[in-house]
Amino acid sequence: MTTSSEDVLLSVGHVRYKKGDGTLYVMNQRLAWMLENRDTVAVSHKYADIKTQKISPIGKPKVQLQVVLHDGTCSTFQFVNPAGAEAQAKDRDQVKMLLQDLLPKFKRQIDGELEMKSRLLSLHPTLKHLYEDLVISKVINSEEYWNTPTLKHYTESTSMKQEAGVSGAFLADIQPQTDGCNGLKYNLTQDIIDAIFKTYPAVRKKHVDYVPNKMTEAEFWTKFFQSHYFHRDRIASSSSKDLFGECAKLDDQAIASAMRHTTVDLTVDLPQFTESVPFLPEDDLGEKEKDGTSIHRSMIKRFNQHSIMVLKASHKSNSSTNSNNTSSNSNSKTTNNNNKVIENGVKETNGVEKRTARDKDPTEPVDKKKRILEKIHYEDLDNVQIGEEAQELKLTKVERYLLGPSSQVSQSSTSTTRPPPLSALASICQAWSSGQQCQRPFRVSASAAVGALGELSPGGALMRQHQAACMAQLIPPDVKNELHRIYLSGGELLRELWRCFPQPGASAESEDTPVRAEKFYDALLRFRNVKLRPFEEKMLRELTPLATSLTKHMNQMIDTACAKYAMWQQRQAKLR
Amino acid sequence: MKLTVDGLLVYFPYDYIYPEQYAYMLELKRALDAKGHGLLEMPSGTGKTISLLSLIVAYMIQNPHHVRKLIYCSRTVPEIEKVLEELKNLIKYYEKSHGEKPSLTGVVLSSRKNLCIHPEVSREREGKLVDGKCHSLTASYIRERHERDSSVPVCQFYEGFNREGKESMLPYGVYTMDDLKQYGADRNWCPYFLSRFAIIHAEIVVYSYHYLLDPKIAEVVSKELNKEAVVVFDEAHNIDNVCIDSLSVKLTRRTIDKSTQALQTLEKAVTQLKQEDAERLTLEYEQMVEGLREAAVARETDMILANPVLPDEVLNEVVPGNIRNAEHFLGFLKRFIEYLKTRLRIQHVVQESPAGFLKDVASRVCIERKPLRFCSSRLQSLMRTLQISDPSNFGALTLVANLATLVSSYTKGFVIIIEPFDDRTPTVSNPILHFSCMDSSIAMRPVFARFQSVIITSGTLSPLDMYPKILDFNPVIMSSFTMTLARPCILPMIVSKGSDQVTISSKYETREDVAVIRNYGQLLVEISACVPDGVVCFFTSYLYLESVVGAWYDQGVVASLQKHKLLFIETQDSAETSFALINYIKACESGRGAVLLSVARGKVSEGVDFDHHLGRAVLMFGIPYVFTQSRILKARLEYLRDQFQIRENDFLTFDAMRHAAQCVGRALRGKTDYGIMIFADKRFSRADKRSKLPRWIQEHLRDSLCNLSTEEAVQISKRWLRQMAQPFTREDQLGVSLLTLAQLQSQEQQDKIEKQVIQK
Repeated sequence: MTTSSEDVLLSVGHVRYKKGDGTLYVMNQRLAWMLENRDTVAVSHKYADIKTQKISPIGKPKVQLQVVLHDGTCSTFQFVNPAGAEAQAKDRDQVKMLLQDLLPKFKRQIDGELEMKSRLLSLHPTLKHLYEDLVISKVINSEEYWNTPTLKHYTESTSMKQEAGVSGAFLADIQPQTDGCNGLKYNLTQDIIDAIFKTYPAVRKKHVDYVPNKMTEAEFWTKFFQSHYFHRDRIASSSSKDLFGECAKLDDQAIASAMRHTTVDLTVDLPQFTESVPFLPEDDLGEKEKDGTSIHRSMIKRFNQHSIMVLKASHKSNSSTNSNNTSSNSNSKTTNNNNKVIENGVKETNGVEKRTARDKDPTEPVDKKKRILEKIHYEDLDNVQIGEEAQELKLTKVERYLLGPSSQVSQSSTSTTRPPPLSALASICQAWSSGQQCQRPFRVSASAAVGALGELSPGGALMRQHQAACMAQLIPPDVKNELHRIYLSGGELLRELWRCFPQPGASAESEDTPVRAEKFYDALLRFRNVKLRPFEEKMLRELTPLATSLTKHMNQMIDTACAKYAMWQQRQAKLR
Repeated sequence: MKLTVDGLLVYFPYDYIYPEQYAYMLELKRALDAKGHGLLEMPSGTGKTISLLSLIVAYMIQNPHHVRKLIYCSRTVPEIEKVLEELKNLIKYYEKSHGEKPSLTGVVLSSRKNLCIHPEVSREREGKLVDGKCHSLTASYIRERHERDSSVPVCQFYEGFNREGKESMLPYGVYTMDDLKQYGADRNWCPYFLSRFAIIHAEIVVYSYHYLLDPKIAEVVSKELNKEAVVVFDEAHNIDNVCIDSLSVKLTRRTIDKSTQALQTLEKAVTQLKQEDAERLTLEYEQMVEGLREAAVARETDMILANPVLPDEVLNEVVPGNIRNAEHFLGFLKRFIEYLKTRLRIQHVVQESPAGFLKDVASRVCIERKPLRFCSSRLQSLMRTLQISDPSNFGALTLVANLATLVSSYTKGFVIIIEPFDDRTPTVSNPILHFSCMDSSIAMRPVFARFQSVIITSGTLSPLDMYPKILDFNPVIMSSFTMTLARPCILPMIVSKGSDQVTISSKYETREDVAVIRNYGQLLVEISACVPDGVVCFFTSYLYLESVVGAWYDQGVVASLQKHKLLFIETQDSAETSFALINYIKACESGRGAVLLSVARGKVSEGVDFDHHLGRAVLMFGIPYVFTQSRILKARLEYLRDQFQIRENDFLTFDAMRHAAQCVGRALRGKTDYGIMIFADKRFSRADKRSKLPRWIQEHLRDSLCNLSTEEAVQISKRWLRQMAQPFTREDQLGVSLLTLAQLQSQEQQDKIEKQVIQK
């Protein structure tokens, strides 16, 4: 190896690694260790690969230094200076200090990418499973893993971050668990807290006010869960000890003001629906307000509010991106308003008044009319061609459209083109299965396809015997999860393998496809041995009636892929 | 297209036509030819309105001496606006094919609130306040005062209209509310009075039911309308209730208190007037002595409400002597109110006939029947004399006077029920006096008698034979049309049991059963998991909705529901519900999907459409029977049995099923639309219930769909939804559910349509 070209910053003798004594070199780029009297480097870690270093505590009989790598493995060096423990510690500290200086320099280079990867894995449990199944079990290596298109999709798309909406049921998701001694445990994740803040600005305000000055985070949330605000079936107590008593009122106010400020669509404007008889008193609704069932009544109100606020929260996050726009808009609007006022004044001195100009919202009548026309419009009675405004599709190469872009082009164009139409997909599939260029795409009519789909789903003619419910009941959830993971990782490998086969009509194959194919073929076989087989065996032991049927489909897929690979290999061999 | 319907050239403003529209026109023409009344049922979303308008307008143009006027009554303001837009469309089509506008004027009449353009008055949100303010600016004495003293404010728009507006007629065309406002604003005329004036001459009038059915308003507004007219009641499935409401009076203790206050104000006004201007009171008295029922020929602006008694009622007698004098009359009213007060002070429920009530009044406070009958008109006259500027404070007193007039005019078909408390809260004293009309034909009869053709139509009128009975008329045609469909775009199902095989039903004995409520919840959760966008549920009553939602919260149903869709619930506050509805629409439109819990017979079920993605599934939890313990209902049932030989159960089922059909029908608004309709109650599968559903629903309700469990229903829905999501083009429909002119004229198609009409 190329030690010569590198500067050795420090070399420490008497370092034991895996029961062999040798010398530890701290170099420009890496940490290396050589066995005594040898000239090959036995251990070599690039600084970039090293995550941290650890040292044994003082007072321990062994003086050690451990470097932990990013992939989780570690190397432990024991300092065995015959001069005694003090000298050993001194040796080690020298190394440690130097590493301390060096490591951060390299860390920064690689950190960005790595951090992103680890974050990605922690964000997406499926990816993590995939990683565990494929990389940690050594079916494929880490680099290949990150280069698969699925992952690429993730790594590339994350640059444009999309804000998550709020689930309607986030409050319900906080399932309390009894801890066995008269207490309740609530599980609160950052996501849920975010959702609560987004949906209930009043709670966020309280949080800002109280945490951490007046109470701790935990106390705050405990109070929150105890409040009637969280328990919607409780009535707000008049004694305002409850921290969140105010929040409910604030919510009410917010909703009420929103109610006043929205112009109600005429088709749902219930109070204006009927024309009352003039001068006769209407039914007094005021009296009905307070009676026995007001718990339910307030609960219903809260449900409505909750839904409205969830909806608002997700709309807010959408519109926040163009807040700049709106602010400038509002500016121009106000000036507009001013103009209008003047205009109006002139008009009114004439005694003639333009109704439309005076309205709060000049677009209202137009909207109203549009809405009515929409309601009375019968799209099928009119002879207007829907496609008239749409642009005509002009194809330069029809077969390209039908077959989809070839692999070379796809790399560059996937991001811009829309996904290929289903028919193209169908024809590709057909071409693959026949193993040659397809002449003419054969298509099943949409209705026939749907009919077939219907018959194939539970309840259809072909699935009479199939009992979805009983299947779900028979398989315990943990097995289901495991099966799901197997499908996930197996599918990923299968897809990679299939991708390696040249597409019909693709011009020249690139050099590395056979190599790639072989690699994934091997990986697939490895996967079958390492993952699928043990699972099958386990199933045989635990779930005898279903054992074989569970993995039948997976096996079938793997067999098909292998057969295809074999056939392709043969053809390759013949061509040469 | 221009088609011939039984020899009549009809301009139809579309290029295609549904077969049932043609059939509908055929039947309609028969009714017009016979100058008789008709009852037509056609599913919503098959273009009823445009068929009606095209045919009647064509008929009017070609037989101008036969039919002179079309009066189109609809129920809600949005419906009215829709009718006007369709009419505009039609007139535009005439204009396009003729090169000139047909000589027809179509005009809408709505309340002052919707038509006022006065800068201050129109700012009021409440109709009552607008009416009051308008009156205080336009009443004849205010205007007289303005002549003398120009600082007295009047409405410039009314003045403008009064000066110039009455000489000219509206140019031909169709005027919506906005058009009227614009027209009025351009000329400085009041749109409301312009419209009141215009409906007398206009060929087509569109307004709401009240203007024709409620005698109090009809007398003021529609008295002069031409008799050679076709009257259309659209969305008329509830017409009997409208009739009944317009003649019923409900008095609470608050009403009594308020009317006492109003009476005191009147007394004060009388004494004041006596000191200042005794002349006027004497004049009024003199005129009454001379036999004029009303003190002066009332100006249009002074007419507030007419007698609640029907126009043909013989009231052309002289006002009885004992109430001619203003003070005597007030004393008379005071006695009557005191009497009502004592009647409300009871501990048990009282039910009696108007005759019994009159007898009691006579024996206890010496009030005769005859002066009672004049109460209402005498009060109006007095208020005019006293120049009450804002009559909206006297609503309660008007109500009492109405009661007096009604109770003394009708001895049959009415009942008086006095309840000391609400049945649900027997400890709280809340006495209510119901003067309830039991016979819907009373309000309807003058309409049938007066106008040449009355067409009653709706999407849900089944069973058709009930309406002629309860409205007491003889239709010349009575038909129900189904929807011809190229694909099964409705999926009605009766879910009778939950996944645990427990029967689900809103029957009184089981409705609070935990298992039933849980099964309802499970059904909703599973449906909302597999149906895209909007899901609407209807409960049988608001109370039931509340208790179910409470139980669902405890059972965790609400939580699992929220996992799939956002949850919105109708409340008793209609403004709040409107806001929830807007957000419901927003949620559906943003792709989040939403569930709306609503109540049958509620405002939502009666007026809001859930077309396309706003309602892909409708669930009807239970059969929406009316609250059967109500005494008013019991009295009505008894009356119906005795007078019309309608069995109680028949009527109750009829009423429940029409509401159920109305609810589920909300989801389907056209042939390109599709929706699931789930009737979740075992009792729906019984023949007596099933057969009362409209034909267009029954046709798709196969036997195999009548006794499903939750899972079965979900599986069927999934399969069906997948089919419905496929592209649906015009070619699929053509020839089956959509016809071109050529196809329509083919003999084969004509025969088919002829066969399709089911005469009952």
